[in-house]
Amino acid sequence: MAYFVSFLGVCFVLGALAVASNPSPYYGVVGLVLGSAVGCGWLLSLGVSFVSLVLFMIYLGGMLVVFVYSVSLAADPFPEAWGDWRVVVYGAGFVLVLAMGVIVGGFVEGWKFGVVTVDGGGVFFVRLDFSGVAVLYSYGVGMFLVAGWGLLLALFVVLEVVRGLSRGAIRAV
Amino acid sequence: MSPLHLSFYSSFTLSALGLAFHRTHLISALLCLESMMLSMYIALSMWPIENQAASSITMPVLMLTFSACEASAGLALLVATTRTHGSDHLHNLNLLQC
Repeated sequence: MAYFVSFLGVCFVLGALAVASNPSPYYGVVGLVLGSAVGCGWLLSLGVSFVSLVLFMIYLGGMLVVFVYSVSLAADPFPEAWGDWRVVVYGAGFVLVLAMGVIVGGFVEGWKFGVVTVDGGGVFFVRLDFSGVAVLYSYGVGMFLVAGWGLLLALFVVLEVVRGLSRGAIRAV
Repeated sequence: MSPLHLSFYSSFTLSALGLAFHRTHLISALLCLESMMLSMYIALSMWPIENQAASSITMPVLMLTFSACEASAGLALLVATTRTHGSDHLHNLNLLQC
């Protein structure tokens, strides 16, 4: 089981590599979807199912869907996938940087496996993540309100940036 | 360093390098930014798991909220660039010539 979790960790890095190695954005989103699905499975294996499902629904089902729609604005006549030599050179360079960092940083010694988690504390069997997020609505209500106000503000920021015709921020026409 | 910590450290670094280097499209840079946010989410949720501090679980959720705001602002800039220049190629953003 520990090897499976390590395999999920490797797939997470491969997802980040697939985004960073400059393919056409149609294929870059695939790397991000892979990375978030694998990260969700990783958090599930550690026992925190709430933050894992939050990642799945909000990040993958909300933000990435909007990104995939916006990728249609980036149309290439010849999209470069990972078979194209330009993308392969970027990817190989990043793998080299990663290997150099691991060797120079001395990370190959001292492999410590396992991130421990328990579902209970003493005689109380309360899930860690459910009870933690409940704090957001009770003692952390100030931060909750600030985050909600920030989201509302972001809506108006988007409306103003996209508007054109003499009142916009970027538009020249 | 435990291999799982190395995993999200290296994915954050790879995404930061991908953001720093030259891209053809603006949305490729925004995707690298999203990948940085994803690895930060995993890292922030790893800490309360290891330390068994339940109230710190709110940190990744709040970070995801603010990253949603940032992603929407970035996509609004992408839409504005495409409407002005016809595409989101980064060489079109050349007003600052230095």
